[in-house]
Amino acid sequence: MRGGAIPILAWGTILLVLAIGNWVWNDKTADGAAASAAVVIIYGFGVALWLARREAIRRGPPPPRTDAEAVPQASVSAMLIGLSVGCALFGLAWAKFLLYFGIAVFVLSVGRLIIELRAERSTRKHVVSEEEHR
Amino acid sequence: MALIDTRREYDHLFGIYVPIAIGVFALILVVMLAAVVIFRRRPAERAARWSEHNALEGSYAALLACVAAFLLYLTFTAEHRVDTVANRQRAAVVVNVIASKWEWTFTYPAYGFSVRSGTVGRQPLVVPAGEAVRFNLTSVDVIHAFWIPALRYKHDAIPGSTQVITLSFTKGVFAGQCAEFCGLRHPDMVFTAHAVSPASFGAWARSRGRGPTP
Amino acid sequence: MGAQPGEGADPVSVATAPPARISRMTGWLGTLTSTDHKRMGLTLGGLSLLYFLLGGLFALLMRTQLAQSNMHFVSDNSYNELFTMHGSTMIYLFVTPMAIALAVYLVPLQIGATGISAPRLALAGLWTWICGGLIMQQGWFASGGAGRAGWSSYAPLSNGTNTPGVGQDLWVIGVILAAAGMAAMAGCVVATIARRRAPGMALLRMPVFTWTALVTVLMVVASFPILVLVMVLLYIDRHGGHIFTGFTGAIDYQDLFWFFGHPVVYVMFFPYLGAAAEAIAVCSHKRWFGYIAFVASMMAFAAMSTAVWSHHMYTTGGVTNQYFAFTSTLLLVPAGVEYFDAIGTLIGGALVLRTSMLFALTFFLQFLVGGLSGVFVASPVLDYQVYGTYMIVAHFHYTLFAGSIFGFFAGVYHWFPKFTGALLRERLGKLQLVLMVIGTNLTFFPMFFLGNDGMPRRVSRYPTHPGWGTLNELETIGAGIIALGVLVFLVNVWTSLRRRVPAGDDPWLGHTLEWATSSPPPPLNFDRPLPPISSYSPLLDLRHEEMDRGGEPAEVSAAR
Repeated sequence: MRGGAIPILAWGTILLVLAIGNWVWNDKTADGAAASAAVVIIYGFGVALWLARREAIRRGPPPPRTDAEAVPQASVSAMLIGLSVGCALFGLAWAKFLLYFGIAVFVLSVGRLIIELRAERSTRKHVVSEEEHR
Repeated sequence: MALIDTRREYDHLFGIYVPIAIGVFALILVVMLAAVVIFRRRPAERAARWSEHNALEGSYAALLACVAAFLLYLTFTAEHRVDTVANRQRAAVVVNVIASKWEWTFTYPAYGFSVRSGTVGRQPLVVPAGEAVRFNLTSVDVIHAFWIPALRYKHDAIPGSTQVITLSFTKGVFAGQCAEFCGLRHPDMVFTAHAVSPASFGAWARSRGRGPTP
Repeated sequence: MGAQPGEGADPVSVATAPPARISRMTGWLGTLTSTDHKRMGLTLGGLSLLYFLLGGLFALLMRTQLAQSNMHFVSDNSYNELFTMHGSTMIYLFVTPMAIALAVYLVPLQIGATGISAPRLALAGLWTWICGGLIMQQGWFASGGAGRAGWSSYAPLSNGTNTPGVGQDLWVIGVILAAAGMAAMAGCVVATIARRRAPGMALLRMPVFTWTALVTVLMVVASFPILVLVMVLLYIDRHGGHIFTGFTGAIDYQDLFWFFGHPVVYVMFFPYLGAAAEAIAVCSHKRWFGYIAFVASMMAFAAMSTAVWSHHMYTTGGVTNQYFAFTSTLLLVPAGVEYFDAIGTLIGGALVLRTSMLFALTFFLQFLVGGLSGVFVASPVLDYQVYGTYMIVAHFHYTLFAGSIFGFFAGVYHWFPKFTGALLRERLGKLQLVLMVIGTNLTFFPMFFLGNDGMPRRVSRYPTHPGWGTLNELETIGAGIIALGVLVFLVNVWTSLRRRVPAGDDPWLGHTLEWATSSPPPPLNFDRPLPPISSYSPLLDLRHEEMDRGGEPAEVSAAR
């Protein structure tokens, strides 16, 4: 995690400079909107990382990890989310019922995703407390 | 003031850019091949361990920046002539070009008549040679591009706008065509440009229309 | 804390949660729902490769139609579908996703992580992309045909009046899904690099490929949402929305499209550059030269991609040509730095001319033709002539095909042993290389002359000018030779997997962490403690230390 936000924020800053250059030279709405959106997305990413962990903007190599890491092996819900989005948009062009079917599956898969994430978090807590116990 | 000749501007830049490109390619090809020939099949432990020389690399980048500046200087000068100076020239004749799927309509407002090329370009665009010819480009449906390859110049015809370009021709017959994909019969959207002497142009235009308005 | 960064020992404690009831899938469902980054990378890469074959088939059909000036092999409408779907398949469904697939597979390994961040988001993105590809190709079965307004589908040509029909709608939806899916996966790679580097893996110790992957996924994250937005607006426009109307509408579409479209050009280049760089460094037994300069130029290069897009619009009269000529020409500086670094790596090395090395070298040489012609078309005055012609087709095929695809094959020959545990056949690889070099240059070099001479792109027929017939015939023959080269590659993969020559963990004396685990790597990537990481080539450091201690010099075991 250490330093993870640095290249992202640095790159966002170069984008910002270029966006300003573009705005000064060209001053077009669509250009400005696209360039600012890109800057906002990249900065947003960097700032989110920084807020999650302050060491994200600190230099130096990452220290050895002490916390447990959860690595899921499979996720039905994630696959279904992708498929349901595809199904719903395909429904736009082909048949309306697929649109509604896709939305329904999407909602159900998000529900299942929440269950998966909660299960993952509880397992991680369990592992951490076991390690501390040892 | 001499006429701006798009062909000459293109050929001039081409004559500088392309030899430089060929030279750079040859240089890198030779250096890479030489490196491969010299350093192949040495035992692994003899590989050098140095891996940077930032001063050298920095000077190299500065040299590249100078090359870029040189090319930009040439390009900017030529671009200024083709795009800005050309349109300041006094035009001998104005042609309104209306692009539509999949033909060209050339209107001569000073003479009050139009020529429709028809798909596959049966009717020619006629212009006087040796004089500045102004084209007002527009389109009625999708984006087309007005292109005469021999003049080394093209410009888009976009619906909702009229764009002004100024070209000059030498005597002759030139092929022209749409250069922006515009749908089913795009390959057939061609025309022919006949550049004739100003006198014959005048005669041709008067025979077609009501004659030049004073 | 307290321990030295990068000191051996188990890198992380791992919880392979969640409980069995939810996570353990076996058989085909296990494969499809796997959140292992290696599984996802292989699925994405494998499907992309199928799309490469499909897009190549479209190209062969187009080249057959163009073999002579007035062939009637396919109709005008079919030709328009073919070139649209060739470009779209190659860009949205092969070169871009393959770039992301390489990043998804390799980045966690190279930075010593156990997996990818937000693996569920990556999996959802993968399936979204899969849906997008299938939906785009569904257009072939629609009445009126598949998308046929070009891979860039300029408005107003692509609106409901000028290109009616479900096929174009399916194209728009396909692009939305493919772009959104790839953006999701790219976001996961960014997060992985930010959050999950192994102890000791400081930013400036990340391998060269990981840096190219990082700038790539950053560009994806910054620009693909814009594409999704443009395509949503185009969809609304096609269904009575009147968004891209008039001159401003037409120009806005192009501005927004190319704001995505130019970064994607580099998305389709950088990871392959990284692959070629790794192959060259490993096959030279020498660290990649000029690391810091390379990283800085990558960052600048990638950022510049968001400031050059209107060089695709010089002829529209709607952009400030000089500004974009300035930024575009300036790109030759970071590009030149790459070449300097590649040559610097070769000089003083101990080169082994394996297939991966040869592909990497031809990548650099052939891409140079594309790059130098790129400087040429960055000049508005020159572009006025060659925009929309075969000269442009030649230029971007030299960057994408003669460049990126050769870099891709360099990567395949380099990492195939890691992906599968088996070696590819070197002799078939060299045969493939020879065929592809001949085919590529035969196909694309004549296009420079044709374009300069006045042959527009995207035409199914062309006038019978002197010389054009011969050049086009040569190109068609060249396309056939490329196809033969690809066939040899498929045979190579097939034989190598059927009659396996075990690769071992590190057949090439690799420099980076992916070679410090078994081939293919186990589910959590590393089955042994990570070596200390004090540079961007930790395994080379170990060998150097061993040599300095007077140990046995490392054998060039796999030098064949």
